[in-house]
Amino acid sequence: MAVVDRQGPIADKWTHVADDAPMAAGQSVIVSFARLKNEHNSLFSAAGAVGVEIGGDANLDELEPFLPRLGVVVIRMNTMRDGRLFSLGRLLRDRHKYTADMRAAGDLIPDQVLFLLRCGFTSFEVKDNFPIDSLKRSVAAYTNWYQRAGDRAARVAELRQGSTS
Amino acid sequence: MYIYDKFDHAITQERVNEFSQQVARRLVGELSEEQFRPLRLMNGLYLQLHAYMLRVAIPYGTLSSKQMHKLADIAKKYDRDYGHFTTRQNIQYNWIKLEQVPEILAELASVEMHANQTSGNCIRNVTADQFAGVAGDEVEDPRIISEVIRQWSTFHPEFSFLPRKFKIAVTGAVKDRAAIQYHDIGIQIVKNDAGEIGYAVYVGGGMGRTPVVAPLINPFVRREDLLSYLETCLRVYNLHGRRDNIYKARIKILVRDLGPDEYRRQVDEMWPMTKAAGVDVPAGEVARIEAFFAPPAYEKVSEPVAAYADAKAKNPAFARWIQTNLHPHKVPGYGAVTISLKPIGGIPGDASSAQMHAIADLADKYSLGELRVTHVQNLVLPNVKQADLFAVYQELVKIGFADANIGLASDIIACPGLDYCALANARSIPVAQDLSKRFGSLDRQHEIGPLQIKISGCINACGHHHAGHIGILGVDKAGQELYQITLGGAGDEKASIGQLMGPGFTGEDIGGAVEKVVNTYLGLRQSPTETFIEAYRRVGPAPFKESLYGRR
Repeated sequence: MAVVDRQGPIADKWTHVADDAPMAAGQSVIVSFARLKNEHNSLFSAAGAVGVEIGGDANLDELEPFLPRLGVVVIRMNTMRDGRLFSLGRLLRDRHKYTADMRAAGDLIPDQVLFLLRCGFTSFEVKDNFPIDSLKRSVAAYTNWYQRAGDRAARVAELRQGSTS
Repeated sequence: MYIYDKFDHAITQERVNEFSQQVARRLVGELSEEQFRPLRLMNGLYLQLHAYMLRVAIPYGTLSSKQMHKLADIAKKYDRDYGHFTTRQNIQYNWIKLEQVPEILAELASVEMHANQTSGNCIRNVTADQFAGVAGDEVEDPRIISEVIRQWSTFHPEFSFLPRKFKIAVTGAVKDRAAIQYHDIGIQIVKNDAGEIGYAVYVGGGMGRTPVVAPLINPFVRREDLLSYLETCLRVYNLHGRRDNIYKARIKILVRDLGPDEYRRQVDEMWPMTKAAGVDVPAGEVARIEAFFAPPAYEKVSEPVAAYADAKAKNPAFARWIQTNLHPHKVPGYGAVTISLKPIGGIPGDASSAQMHAIADLADKYSLGELRVTHVQNLVLPNVKQADLFAVYQELVKIGFADANIGLASDIIACPGLDYCALANARSIPVAQDLSKRFGSLDRQHEIGPLQIKISGCINACGHHHAGHIGILGVDKAGQELYQITLGGAGDEKASIGQLMGPGFTGEDIGGAVEKVVNTYLGLRQSPTETFIEAYRRVGPAPFKESLYGRR
């Protein structure tokens, strides 16, 4: 397993910790939503930093109170075809005003990273053999976009205002 | 017509480059077939029974003569010299090599065309009334908002991995020629009491194994709110649509399971957030797009046109063709000609490269360079002067597309069926050809009157059989191709789902069975002006069932 951002591999301080596993004081841990709900007091006081991993069915309203204190939210999908990821990202950013690292995990391909970035994701948990060259090419594939999305990039419609074609 | 600017060109070209890379990565094995599949589908590329099929988008069914020439060139150079116009106003090529697809996409890009999102679980090519801009009963030209939707939905980052495909259709007229209520989202352009233009939004229609006529979810969405409204409709679907069963994954199942009221409530609740994200189209952009669809320079013609009246009087075959194939034009002295791609015994929607070139030339000479594709798999010359109609007719006779059968029994919709399609259970094309020959006599077709026969080779219903006055569904029963008959379907503003008559017929017997249905109608209609669908709605299925299966 590796973690990448739009430019390639990044150093990652986070450790996934199973629900029944102990954790070292000061560690940066990613726990399940269930554990977060049950142990948030001790987690936030003992851990160096806390993140959570959720799936496609997660109730974001329930997660919202914890968001300001989380350092990463990992959204995991079991197949690359499960596109709920993209809408969950938009909701976390736009509706629940989450601002820290938002990480997509699962069987992703480089071509999806581009769209995930546009939905507000900032890092990606991928397989070790993830093709970095393809990632770099894919995220640079387009200069402009037709629609506004989670990255708030200017749209073609706006660029046209000050342009003569 | 909409004309690309540097931004449109750049995006289209960048797509070609991106897909070229993806094909290359597939060919060296970096991408598995499973990983590549959604990428190729979003570029219109299917793996069919015998070869790759490439589906090229013709947004809202409008194309120029130059584009038609290019489609013909591609048919000749990369396919077996023909193309197939589809019920979604697209064109399909059935014999394509994977390695050549990037090159074909580059050729398309050179004439402002693409194959974006003509397949896959994303927002598909938006369709519209084929008489957009020329029909007299129009509130607004539907191509304006269709182009807005085309741009917004192109490479939409949130909606490219939906539970299932997503189709949007737009009509600007009260008379629905785009079958909007059979779409995932159907949009009808309306005017409110204050005279403002807005959109009635229907959500959750569809065909397939669960046919549904879409309920009205919002009667009036303002233009400046439409994209955020559509985006919210899609977001609720993307989050909550079923992903566990491909046959229950369309939005129609979600809307049905939630109920239209609860679906509407969820959309309304989420809409302010989408609106605040600034996704709606700026007014200046709509005005820019609208300018492309301003009426072309029509000549002032005073009616009646003597030469036209004279040609009709002297040529009964021409007069009959006018009766069925000419649609009234909003400008005096003009008409919109439907070119029948349904020659008797032919394959519905097929055209050779020579025929496509000839039609493109006709568009240049007689129709201000413009063409349309209909969802009934025909083509339209939208701007023909009455004085030119006879010349157009004679040219169409030369290429074998002058059949006076639009809206009649031989104007059949058929999916490619088991001759091409990997999903099909039965062949569709031979059934269409058989019926076309049985009803080949124009006298008989005109005596029968308006009749829509639609044939699907499997339950996915690409041939729209649910919406056929007479629908035919091919099924597989223990290795045998059988054909079931449904009656009473309609895809217009009075949309209805056809009712199943009973057990299926063999390929040999289906033609005779349809004849029985037609003869039963002829026997019970109250007058020659009572159409098949009117008569069926009056008497119901009983007399038709009896004619097919006897008294039971």
